[in-house]
Amino acid sequence: MSAAPLPRAVPVASRPLLAIDSLCKCYFKHETKLEILRDISIDIREGEFVSIVGASGCGKTTFLRLVDGLIGATSGTVRLDGEVITKPGSKIAFVFQQDCLLPWRTVLDNTILGPEIQGGDRKSFRKLARDMLALVGLAGFDGHYPHELSGGMRQRVNIARALAVGPDILLMDEPFAALDAQTRVIMQTELMRICRETGKTVLFVTHQIDEAVYLSDRVLVFTARPGRLKEEVRIDLPRPRELACKWTPEFARYTDHIWHSIEEEVRASIGIEMQQRAGTRA
Amino acid sequence: MMAASRRLVHFVMPASRAQGVASLLLAAVLWELTARYLIKSPILFVPLVAVFERAVALWQAGELQPHIWISFVEFLGGFLMASVVGVAFGVAFSCSRLLRNFFEPWVSMLYSTPIIALGPLFILWLGIGIGSKIAIIFLTAVFPILINTVTGLTTTERTLIEMTRSFGASQAQIYAKVRLPAALPFIIAGLRLGVARALVGVVVAELFGARAGLGFLIVSSAQSFDTAGLFVGVLILAFAGIGSVELLKWVERRLAPWRFQEDGQ
Repeated sequence: MSAAPLPRAVPVASRPLLAIDSLCKCYFKHETKLEILRDISIDIREGEFVSIVGASGCGKTTFLRLVDGLIGATSGTVRLDGEVITKPGSKIAFVFQQDCLLPWRTVLDNTILGPEIQGGDRKSFRKLARDMLALVGLAGFDGHYPHELSGGMRQRVNIARALAVGPDILLMDEPFAALDAQTRVIMQTELMRICRETGKTVLFVTHQIDEAVYLSDRVLVFTARPGRLKEEVRIDLPRPRELACKWTPEFARYTDHIWHSIEEEVRASIGIEMQQRAGTRA
Repeated sequence: MMAASRRLVHFVMPASRAQGVASLLLAAVLWELTARYLIKSPILFVPLVAVFERAVALWQAGELQPHIWISFVEFLGGFLMASVVGVAFGVAFSCSRLLRNFFEPWVSMLYSTPIIALGPLFILWLGIGIGSKIAIIFLTAVFPILINTVTGLTTTERTLIEMTRSFGASQAQIYAKVRLPAALPFIIAGLRLGVARALVGVVVAELFGARAGLGFLIVSSAQSFDTAGLFVGVLILAFAGIGSVELLKWVERRLAPWRFQEDGQ
Protein backbone atom coordinates (compact mmCIF):
# COMPACT_ATOMS: atom_id res chain seq x y z
CA MET A 1 0.00 0.00 0.00
CA SER A 2 2.73 2.41 0.95
CA ALA A 3 4.54 1.39 -2.21
CA ALA A 4 2.08 3.36 -4.35
CA PRO A 5 4.12 5.81 -6.42
CA LEU A 6 3.88 9.40 -5.27
CA PRO A 7 4.05 12.22 -7.80
CA ARG A 8 7.48 13.86 -7.66
CA ALA A 9 7.71 17.56 -7.18
CA VAL A 10 9.53 19.95 -9.42
CA PRO A 11 12.32 21.55 -7.36
CA VAL A 12 11.31 24.90 -5.93
CA ALA A 13 13.41 27.62 -7.46
CA SER A 14 13.70 29.86 -4.39
CA ARG A 15 16.91 30.17 -2.34
CA PRO A 16 17.49 28.17 0.84
CA LEU A 17 16.62 30.31 3.85
CA LEU A 18 17.19 27.99 6.78
CA ALA A 19 20.08 25.52 6.73
CA ILE A 20 20.14 22.94 9.49
CA ASP A 21 23.32 20.91 9.53
CA SER A 22 23.80 17.64 11.47
CA LEU A 23 21.93 18.85 14.53
CA CYS A 24 22.18 16.69 17.66
CA LYS A 25 20.74 17.16 21.10
CA CYS A 26 21.46 15.11 24.21
CA TYR A 27 20.52 15.63 27.82
CA PHE A 28 22.55 14.34 30.70
CA LYS A 29 20.57 13.31 33.72
CA HIS A 30 22.07 11.47 36.69
CA GLU A 31 25.14 10.58 34.60
CA THR A 32 22.98 8.88 31.97
CA LYS A 33 22.89 10.23 28.46
CA LEU A 34 19.49 10.78 26.95
CA GLU A 35 19.72 11.26 23.21
CA ILE A 36 16.80 13.31 21.90
CA LEU A 37 17.80 14.20 18.35
CA ARG A 38 20.42 12.61 16.15
CA ASP A 39 22.10 14.12 13.13
CA ILE A 40 19.32 16.10 11.52
CA SER A 41 20.06 18.04 8.35
CA ILE A 42 17.35 19.97 6.55
CA ASP A 43 17.30 22.89 4.13
CA ILE A 44 14.20 25.03 4.01
CA ARG A 45 13.62 27.37 1.11
CA GLU A 46 12.13 30.79 1.26
CA GLY A 47 8.34 30.74 1.17
CA GLU A 48 8.18 27.01 1.82
CA PHE A 49 5.74 25.40 4.26
CA VAL A 50 7.39 22.41 5.90
CA SER A 51 5.74 20.19 8.50
CA ILE A 52 7.32 17.75 10.90
CA VAL A 53 5.34 14.74 12.05
CA GLY A 54 6.40 11.98 14.38
CA ALA A 55 5.43 9.99 17.44
CA SER A 56 5.16 11.80 20.76
CA GLY A 57 8.50 12.14 22.44
CA CYS A 58 10.41 12.06 19.17
CA GLY A 59 11.92 15.48 19.84
CA LYS A 60 9.81 17.61 17.49
CA THR A 61 9.34 20.37 20.03
CA THR A 62 12.99 20.19 21.10
CA PHE A 63 13.90 20.54 17.45
CA LEU A 64 11.86 23.73 17.08
CA ARG A 65 13.36 25.17 20.28
CA LEU A 66 16.83 24.46 18.92
CA VAL A 67 16.04 26.20 15.64
CA ASP A 68 14.73 29.23 17.54
CA GLY A 69 17.83 29.35 19.74
CA LEU A 70 15.85 28.90 22.96
CA ILE A 71 18.17 26.01 23.79
CA GLY A 72 21.63 25.17 22.54
CA ALA A 73 22.50 22.17 20.38
CA THR A 74 24.91 19.47 21.55
CA SER A 75 26.45 19.60 18.10
CA GLY A 76 25.54 20.85 14.65
CA THR A 77 24.40 24.27 13.50
CA VAL A 78 21.32 26.19 12.47
CA ARG A 79 21.94 28.90 9.90
CA LEU A 80 19.43 31.51 8.85
CA ASP A 81 20.54 33.32 5.70
CA GLY A 82 24.04 32.04 6.39
CA GLU A 83 24.09 33.40 9.93
CA VAL A 84 24.47 30.91 12.81
CA ILE A 85 21.58 31.06 15.28
CA THR A 86 22.70 31.01 18.91
CA LYS A 87 19.90 32.83 20.69
CA PRO A 88 16.32 33.93 20.01
CA GLY A 89 15.94 37.05 17.92
CA SER A 90 13.57 38.93 15.68
CA LYS A 91 14.25 36.96 12.49
CA ILE A 92 12.59 33.82 13.79
CA ALA A 93 9.24 33.89 15.55
CA PHE A 94 7.78 31.08 17.63
CA VAL A 95 4.09 30.24 17.86
CA PHE A 96 3.55 28.06 20.91
CA GLN A 97 0.99 25.34 21.41
CA GLN A 98 -0.67 27.22 24.27
CA ASP A 99 -1.59 30.70 23.16
CA CYS A 100 0.70 32.15 25.89
CA LEU A 101 -1.12 35.47 25.91
CA LEU A 102 -0.46 37.77 28.84
CA PRO A 103 -3.84 37.95 30.57
CA TRP A 104 -3.29 41.50 31.84
CA ARG A 105 -2.66 42.88 28.37
CA THR A 106 -5.26 43.72 25.75
CA VAL A 107 -5.17 42.03 22.36
CA LEU A 108 -3.28 44.99 20.88
CA ASP A 109 -0.80 45.19 23.74
CA ASN A 110 -0.19 41.44 23.48
CA THR A 111 0.47 41.80 19.78
CA ILE A 112 3.07 44.54 20.25
CA LEU A 113 4.99 42.54 22.89
CA GLY A 114 7.64 41.34 20.44
CA PRO A 115 8.43 44.73 18.87
CA GLU A 116 8.29 46.27 22.35
CA ILE A 117 10.97 43.87 23.59
CA GLN A 118 13.10 44.43 20.53
CA GLY A 119 12.80 48.20 20.84
CA GLY A 120 11.89 50.84 18.33
CA ASP A 121 9.26 53.41 17.60
CA ARG A 122 6.12 52.67 19.61
CA LYS A 123 3.81 54.41 17.23
CA SER A 124 4.96 52.51 14.17
CA PHE A 125 4.66 49.13 15.80
CA ARG A 126 1.18 49.88 17.06
CA LYS A 127 0.23 50.47 13.47
CA LEU A 128 1.99 47.26 12.43
CA ALA A 129 0.25 45.31 15.21
CA ARG A 130 -3.14 46.61 14.02
CA ASP A 131 -2.31 45.48 10.48
CA MET A 132 -1.35 42.02 11.74
CA LEU A 133 -4.57 41.74 13.77
CA ALA A 134 -6.52 42.67 10.66
CA LEU A 135 -4.56 40.04 8.71
CA VAL A 136 -5.54 37.29 11.15
CA GLY A 137 -9.15 38.47 11.06
CA LEU A 138 -9.30 40.22 14.43
CA ALA A 139 -9.78 43.84 13.38
CA GLY A 140 -11.85 45.63 16.02
CA PHE A 141 -10.74 43.44 18.93
CA ASP A 142 -7.78 45.67 19.93
CA GLY A 143 -9.15 46.47 23.36
CA HIS A 144 -10.39 42.99 24.33
CA TYR A 145 -8.66 40.96 26.99
CA PRO A 146 -7.62 37.35 26.30
CA HIS A 147 -10.21 35.96 28.72
CA GLU A 148 -12.90 37.60 26.61
CA LEU A 149 -11.85 35.63 23.51
CA SER A 150 -12.48 32.06 22.36
CA GLY A 151 -9.65 29.56 21.97
CA GLY A 152 -9.52 30.06 18.21
CA MET A 153 -9.40 33.85 18.55
CA ARG A 154 -6.60 33.60 21.12
CA GLN A 155 -4.60 31.46 18.73
CA ARG A 156 -5.12 34.14 16.06
CA VAL A 157 -3.65 36.73 18.42
CA ASN A 158 -0.78 34.33 19.07
CA ILE A 159 -0.07 34.22 15.32
CA ALA A 160 -0.45 37.99 14.90
CA ARG A 161 2.01 38.55 17.75
CA ALA A 162 4.58 36.31 16.04
CA LEU A 163 4.07 38.07 12.70
CA ALA A 164 4.39 41.52 14.30
CA VAL A 165 8.16 41.19 14.72
CA GLY A 166 8.45 40.81 10.96
CA PRO A 167 10.20 37.41 11.07
CA ASP A 168 11.77 35.67 8.07
CA ILE A 169 10.45 32.35 9.31
CA LEU A 170 7.65 31.20 11.58
CA LEU A 171 8.11 28.19 13.85
CA MET A 172 4.78 26.71 14.93
CA ASP A 173 4.54 24.05 17.62
CA GLU A 174 1.18 22.28 17.31
CA PRO A 175 -0.60 25.61 17.37
CA PHE A 176 -4.05 24.14 16.79
CA ALA A 177 -3.77 21.08 19.03
CA ALA A 178 -5.82 22.62 21.82
CA LEU A 179 -8.68 23.65 19.55
CA ASP A 180 -11.83 21.68 18.81
CA ALA A 181 -11.91 19.82 15.48
CA GLN A 182 -14.08 22.34 13.57
CA THR A 183 -12.17 25.38 14.78
CA ARG A 184 -8.95 23.62 13.87
CA VAL A 185 -10.05 23.18 10.25
CA ILE A 186 -11.00 26.84 10.03
CA MET A 187 -7.65 27.86 11.52
CA GLN A 188 -5.84 25.66 8.98
CA THR A 189 -7.48 27.44 6.06
CA GLU A 190 -6.82 30.78 7.76
CA LEU A 191 -3.14 29.95 8.24
CA MET A 192 -2.90 28.96 4.58
CA ARG A 193 -4.44 32.27 3.55
CA ILE A 194 -2.06 34.22 5.83
CA CYS A 195 0.94 32.38 4.38
CA ARG A 196 -0.27 33.08 0.85
CA GLU A 197 -0.72 36.78 1.61
CA THR A 198 2.59 37.28 3.43
CA GLY A 199 4.73 34.69 1.64
CA LYS A 200 6.14 33.60 5.01
CA THR A 201 8.31 30.54 5.42
CA VAL A 202 6.87 28.16 8.00
CA LEU A 203 8.25 25.23 9.94
CA PHE A 204 5.26 23.50 11.48
CA VAL A 205 5.10 20.68 14.03
CA THR A 206 1.93 18.62 14.33
CA HIS A 207 0.51 15.30 15.40
CA GLN A 208 -2.14 15.37 12.76
CA ILE A 209 -1.07 13.81 9.51
CA ASP A 210 -3.96 15.31 7.54
CA GLU A 211 -3.12 18.75 8.88
CA ALA A 212 0.49 18.32 7.77
CA VAL A 213 -0.50 17.16 4.28
CA TYR A 214 -3.13 19.85 3.85
CA LEU A 215 -0.82 22.74 4.77
CA SER A 216 2.60 21.69 3.56
CA ASP A 217 4.87 21.68 0.57
CA ARG A 218 6.97 19.05 2.31
CA VAL A 219 6.30 16.75 5.25
CA LEU A 220 9.25 15.44 7.25
CA VAL A 221 8.74 12.23 9.19
CA PHE A 222 10.82 11.84 12.35
CA THR A 223 11.69 8.50 13.88
CA ALA A 224 11.02 7.56 17.49
CA ARG A 225 13.61 8.75 20.01
CA PRO A 226 16.33 9.56 19.25
CA GLY A 227 14.62 11.60 16.56
CA ARG A 228 16.14 11.26 13.12
CA LEU A 229 14.85 12.27 9.75
CA LYS A 230 13.13 9.15 8.46
CA GLU A 231 11.48 10.32 5.32
CA GLU A 232 10.71 13.43 3.36
CA VAL A 233 7.43 13.57 1.45
CA ARG A 234 6.77 16.26 -1.13
CA ILE A 235 3.13 17.25 -1.29
CA ASP A 236 2.26 18.11 -4.86
CA LEU A 237 -1.35 19.06 -4.36
CA PRO A 238 -2.05 22.23 -6.35
CA ARG A 239 -2.42 25.53 -4.51
CA PRO A 240 -4.55 27.32 -3.52
CA ARG A 241 -5.98 24.26 -1.76
CA GLU A 242 -9.67 24.18 -1.03
CA LEU A 243 -10.98 22.31 1.97
CA ALA A 244 -12.47 19.79 -0.47
CA CYS A 245 -8.99 18.63 -1.43
CA LYS A 246 -8.94 16.70 1.85
CA TRP A 247 -11.41 14.24 0.33
CA THR A 248 -9.55 13.58 -2.91
CA PRO A 249 -7.81 10.22 -3.52
CA GLU A 250 -4.44 11.98 -3.89
CA PHE A 251 -4.80 13.45 -0.43
CA ALA A 252 -5.68 10.05 1.03
CA ARG A 253 -2.66 8.54 -0.72
CA TYR A 254 -0.37 11.04 1.04
CA THR A 255 -1.91 10.53 4.45
CA ASP A 256 -1.85 6.73 4.04
CA HIS A 257 1.77 6.81 3.00
CA ILE A 258 2.79 9.01 5.93
CA TRP A 259 0.74 7.01 8.39
CA HIS A 260 2.49 3.80 7.33
CA SER A 261 5.82 5.51 7.66
CA ILE A 262 4.96 6.76 11.11
CA GLU A 263 3.15 3.73 12.46
CA GLU A 264 6.17 1.67 13.44
CA GLU A 265 7.72 4.76 15.02
CA VAL A 266 4.64 5.29 17.14
CA ARG A 267 4.82 1.65 18.24
CA ALA A 268 8.51 2.04 19.04
CA SER A 269 7.88 5.17 21.01
CA ILE A 270 5.07 3.55 23.01
CA GLY A 271 7.60 0.82 23.82
CA ILE A 272 10.14 3.38 25.05
CA GLU A 273 7.47 5.03 27.15
CA MET A 274 6.38 1.75 28.76
CA GLN A 275 9.97 0.77 29.47
CA GLN A 276 10.57 4.12 31.16
CA ARG A 277 7.49 3.87 33.34
CA ALA A 278 8.31 0.31 34.31
CA GLY A 279 11.78 1.55 35.22
CA THR A 280 10.50 4.22 37.57
CA ARG A 281 8.63 1.60 39.63
CA ALA A 282 11.63 -0.72 39.97
CA MET B 1 -41.53 46.89 36.04
CA MET B 2 -40.39 44.12 38.37
CA ALA B 3 -37.47 43.32 36.12
CA ALA B 4 -36.44 46.98 35.96
CA SER B 5 -36.46 47.36 39.72
CA ARG B 6 -34.55 44.11 40.11
CA ARG B 7 -31.95 45.42 37.70
CA LEU B 8 -31.66 48.62 39.71
CA VAL B 9 -31.21 46.67 42.95
CA HIS B 10 -28.59 44.55 41.25
CA PHE B 11 -26.76 47.66 40.04
CA VAL B 12 -26.62 49.16 43.53
CA MET B 13 -25.87 45.88 45.25
CA PRO B 14 -24.83 42.66 43.50
CA ALA B 15 -26.41 39.46 44.83
CA SER B 16 -23.26 38.26 46.59
CA ARG B 17 -23.01 41.47 48.59
CA ALA B 18 -26.75 41.51 49.32
CA GLN B 19 -26.38 38.08 50.89
CA GLY B 20 -23.51 39.34 53.04
CA VAL B 21 -25.50 42.35 54.19
CA ALA B 22 -28.52 40.13 54.93
CA SER B 23 -26.32 37.95 57.12
CA LEU B 24 -25.11 40.99 59.08
CA LEU B 25 -28.67 42.28 59.53
CA LEU B 26 -29.79 38.89 60.81
CA ALA B 27 -26.92 38.88 63.31
CA ALA B 28 -27.92 42.38 64.47
CA VAL B 29 -31.50 41.24 65.10
CA LEU B 30 -30.30 38.15 67.01
CA TRP B 31 -27.93 40.35 69.02
CA GLU B 32 -30.73 42.72 69.95
CA LEU B 33 -33.07 39.88 70.95
CA THR B 34 -30.35 38.12 72.96
CA ALA B 35 -29.53 41.29 74.87
CA ARG B 36 -33.15 42.16 75.57
CA TYR B 37 -34.55 38.76 76.52
CA LEU B 38 -31.70 36.32 77.21
CA ILE B 39 -28.71 38.03 78.81
CA LYS B 40 -30.12 40.99 80.66
CA SER B 41 -27.05 41.89 82.70
CA PRO B 42 -25.55 45.08 81.17
CA ILE B 43 -22.10 43.99 82.32
CA LEU B 44 -22.16 40.75 80.34
CA PHE B 45 -23.96 41.93 77.24
CA VAL B 46 -25.65 45.07 75.93
CA PRO B 47 -28.21 45.70 73.19
CA LEU B 48 -26.90 47.02 69.89
CA VAL B 49 -28.94 50.17 70.38
CA ALA B 50 -27.09 50.86 73.64
CA VAL B 51 -23.75 50.39 71.85
CA PHE B 52 -24.85 52.87 69.25
CA GLU B 53 -25.96 55.37 71.89
CA ARG B 54 -22.64 54.95 73.71
CA ALA B 55 -20.77 55.59 70.43
CA VAL B 56 -22.74 58.80 69.86
CA ALA B 57 -22.13 59.93 73.42
CA LEU B 58 -18.39 59.26 73.15
CA TRP B 59 -18.28 61.06 69.83
CA GLN B 60 -20.13 64.10 71.14
CA ALA B 61 -17.86 64.21 74.17
CA GLY B 62 -14.95 64.27 71.72
CA GLU B 63 -13.45 61.11 73.22
CA LEU B 64 -13.96 58.72 70.33
CA GLN B 65 -12.20 60.75 67.62
CA PRO B 66 -8.70 60.67 69.17
CA HIS B 67 -9.02 56.91 69.75
CA ILE B 68 -9.92 56.34 66.12
CA TRP B 69 -7.25 58.74 64.91
CA ILE B 70 -4.46 57.20 66.98
CA SER B 71 -5.36 53.68 65.96
CA PHE B 72 -5.68 54.78 62.34
CA VAL B 73 -2.22 56.37 62.36
CA GLU B 74 -0.69 53.28 63.99
CA PHE B 75 -2.46 51.00 61.56
CA LEU B 76 -1.45 53.05 58.53
CA GLY B 77 2.16 53.40 59.69
CA GLY B 78 2.56 49.70 60.48
CA PHE B 79 0.70 48.46 57.43
CA LEU B 80 2.47 50.77 54.96
CA MET B 81 5.83 49.78 56.38
CA ALA B 82 4.85 46.11 56.17
CA SER B 83 3.74 46.57 52.55
CA VAL B 84 6.92 48.30 51.46
CA VAL B 85 9.26 45.97 53.31
CA GLY B 86 7.24 42.84 52.47
CA VAL B 87 7.16 43.58 48.74
CA ALA B 88 10.78 44.79 48.61
CA PHE B 89 12.12 41.71 50.40
CA GLY B 90 9.82 39.52 48.35
CA VAL B 91 11.35 40.94 45.17
CA ALA B 92 14.86 40.46 46.59
CA PHE B 93 14.11 36.85 47.61
CA SER B 94 12.68 36.05 44.22
CA CYS B 95 15.89 37.27 42.57
CA SER B 96 18.35 35.48 44.81
CA ARG B 97 18.05 31.89 45.96
CA LEU B 98 20.93 32.48 48.38
CA LEU B 99 19.07 35.31 50.08
CA ARG B 100 15.89 33.25 50.24
CA ASN B 101 17.59 30.22 51.78
CA PHE B 102 19.41 32.45 54.24
CA PHE B 103 16.29 34.20 55.53
CA GLU B 104 13.78 31.37 55.20
CA PRO B 105 14.14 30.00 58.77
CA TRP B 106 13.65 33.50 60.17
CA VAL B 107 10.54 34.06 58.13
CA SER B 108 8.98 30.73 59.18
CA MET B 109 9.95 31.31 62.78
CA LEU B 110 8.65 34.85 63.07
CA TYR B 111 5.55 34.05 61.00
CA SER B 112 4.49 31.35 63.43
CA THR B 113 5.51 33.16 66.62
CA PRO B 114 2.53 34.85 68.25
CA ILE B 115 3.70 38.44 68.07
CA ILE B 116 1.67 39.11 71.21
CA ALA B 117 4.52 37.36 73.04
CA LEU B 118 6.91 40.06 71.87
CA GLY B 119 4.61 42.93 72.88
CA PRO B 120 6.15 43.63 76.30
CA LEU B 121 9.62 43.51 74.75
CA PHE B 122 8.74 46.20 72.23
CA ILE B 123 7.37 48.42 74.99
CA LEU B 124 10.71 48.03 76.79
CA TRP B 125 12.69 48.79 73.67
CA LEU B 126 10.63 51.50 72.02
CA GLY B 127 8.62 52.97 74.90
CA ILE B 128 4.92 53.37 75.41
CA GLY B 129 4.46 55.71 72.42
CA ILE B 130 3.48 55.03 68.82
CA GLY B 131 6.84 53.48 67.89
CA SER B 132 6.26 50.20 69.72
CA LYS B 133 2.73 49.95 68.28
CA ILE B 134 3.91 50.42 64.72
CA ALA B 135 6.61 47.82 65.27
CA ILE B 136 4.08 45.23 66.49
CA ILE B 137 1.61 45.97 63.69
CA PHE B 138 4.45 45.81 61.19
CA LEU B 139 5.55 42.40 62.45
CA THR B 140 2.05 40.92 62.41
CA ALA B 141 1.32 42.15 58.88
CA VAL B 142 4.61 41.79 57.03
CA PHE B 143 4.88 38.01 56.60
CA PRO B 144 1.79 37.20 54.56
CA ILE B 145 2.75 40.07 52.25
CA LEU B 146 6.33 38.84 51.95
CA ILE B 147 5.38 35.19 51.44
CA ASN B 148 2.72 35.98 48.85
CA THR B 149 5.09 38.26 46.95
CA VAL B 150 7.75 35.53 46.79
CA THR B 151 5.18 32.92 45.75
CA GLY B 152 3.75 35.19 43.07
CA LEU B 153 7.15 36.04 41.63
CA THR B 154 8.51 32.49 41.64
CA THR B 155 5.51 30.61 40.24
CA THR B 156 5.17 32.42 36.93
CA GLU B 157 3.94 30.08 34.22
CA ARG B 158 6.99 28.73 32.42
CA THR B 159 5.29 28.91 29.06
CA LEU B 160 4.84 32.68 29.41
CA ILE B 161 8.50 33.13 30.28
CA GLU B 162 9.60 30.96 27.37
CA MET B 163 7.32 32.87 24.99
CA THR B 164 8.87 36.16 26.11
CA ARG B 165 12.34 34.67 25.78
CA SER B 166 11.56 33.61 22.21
CA PHE B 167 11.28 37.30 21.35
CA GLY B 168 14.83 37.79 22.65
CA ALA B 169 13.82 39.35 25.98
CA SER B 170 16.50 39.96 28.62
CA GLN B 171 16.06 38.77 32.22
CA ALA B 172 15.15 42.33 33.23
CA GLN B 173 12.51 42.52 30.50
CA ILE B 174 11.06 39.15 31.52
CA TYR B 175 10.86 40.45 35.08
CA ALA B 176 9.20 43.73 34.15
CA LYS B 177 6.85 42.46 31.47
CA VAL B 178 5.85 39.04 32.79
CA ARG B 179 6.90 38.06 36.28
CA LEU B 180 5.95 41.26 38.08
CA PRO B 181 2.52 41.74 36.48
CA ALA B 182 1.78 38.01 36.91
CA ALA B 183 2.63 38.33 40.61
CA LEU B 184 0.43 41.39 41.16
CA PRO B 185 -2.74 39.49 42.10
CA PHE B 186 -0.72 37.41 44.59
CA ILE B 187 0.74 40.58 46.09
CA ILE B 188 -2.70 42.14 46.46
CA ALA B 189 -4.01 38.96 48.10
CA GLY B 190 -1.04 39.17 50.47
CA LEU B 191 -1.95 42.78 51.27
CA ARG B 192 -5.50 41.66 52.00
CA LEU B 193 -4.24 39.10 54.50
CA GLY B 194 -1.88 41.74 55.85
CA VAL B 195 -4.71 44.21 56.45
CA ALA B 196 -6.64 41.73 58.57
CA ARG B 197 -3.57 40.86 60.58
CA ALA B 198 -2.61 44.52 61.00
CA LEU B 199 -6.00 45.22 62.59
CA VAL B 200 -5.37 42.41 65.07
CA GLY B 201 -1.96 43.99 65.58
CA VAL B 202 -3.58 47.30 66.53
CA VAL B 203 -5.46 45.74 69.42
CA VAL B 204 -2.54 43.56 70.49
CA ALA B 205 -0.19 46.55 70.46
CA GLU B 206 -2.54 48.64 72.56
CA LEU B 207 -3.18 45.88 75.09
CA PHE B 208 0.23 46.58 76.63
CA GLY B 209 0.49 50.08 77.94
CA ALA B 210 -1.18 52.57 75.67
CA ARG B 211 -2.68 55.97 76.35
CA ALA B 212 -5.18 56.05 73.51
CA GLY B 213 -6.51 54.08 70.59
CA LEU B 214 -9.37 51.65 69.95
CA GLY B 215 -7.52 48.78 71.64
CA PHE B 216 -7.01 51.02 74.64
CA LEU B 217 -10.72 51.95 74.56
CA ILE B 218 -11.61 48.23 74.63
CA VAL B 219 -9.26 47.46 77.52
CA SER B 220 -10.14 50.50 79.62
CA SER B 221 -13.90 50.02 79.02
CA ALA B 222 -13.62 46.42 80.17
CA GLN B 223 -11.76 47.47 83.28
CA SER B 224 -14.53 49.93 84.20
CA PHE B 225 -17.36 47.47 83.29
CA ASP B 226 -18.44 49.71 80.41
CA THR B 227 -19.46 46.85 78.12
CA ALA B 228 -21.15 49.19 75.62
CA GLY B 229 -17.88 51.15 75.29
CA LEU B 230 -16.01 47.89 74.74
CA PHE B 231 -18.33 46.96 71.88
CA VAL B 232 -17.91 50.42 70.33
CA GLY B 233 -14.19 49.68 69.94
CA VAL B 234 -14.77 46.13 68.67
CA LEU B 235 -17.39 47.13 66.10
CA ILE B 236 -15.34 50.03 64.73
CA LEU B 237 -12.39 47.65 64.22
CA ALA B 238 -14.67 45.07 62.64
CA PHE B 239 -16.05 47.56 60.15
CA ALA B 240 -12.58 48.91 59.43
CA GLY B 241 -11.63 45.31 58.59
CA ILE B 242 -14.57 44.78 56.27
CA GLY B 243 -14.00 48.16 54.63
CA SER B 244 -10.30 47.69 53.93
CA VAL B 245 -10.67 44.10 52.72
CA GLU B 246 -13.47 45.17 50.37
CA LEU B 247 -11.29 48.02 49.11
CA LEU B 248 -8.44 45.65 48.33
CA LYS B 249 -10.82 43.19 46.68
CA TRP B 250 -11.95 46.02 44.46
CA VAL B 251 -8.35 46.88 43.61
CA GLU B 252 -7.71 43.20 42.83
CA ARG B 253 -10.68 43.11 40.51
CA ARG B 254 -9.44 46.19 38.70
CA LEU B 255 -5.88 44.92 38.37
CA ALA B 256 -6.60 41.29 37.56
CA PRO B 257 -10.05 41.00 35.99
CA TRP B 258 -9.17 37.70 34.30
CA ARG B 259 -9.02 35.99 37.69
CA PHE B 260 -12.68 36.74 38.32
CA GLN B 261 -14.15 35.69 34.99
CA GLU B 262 -15.92 32.70 36.53
CA ASP B 263 -17.93 35.11 38.69
CA GLY B 264 -19.63 36.22 35.50
CA GLN B 265 -18.91 39.86 36.22
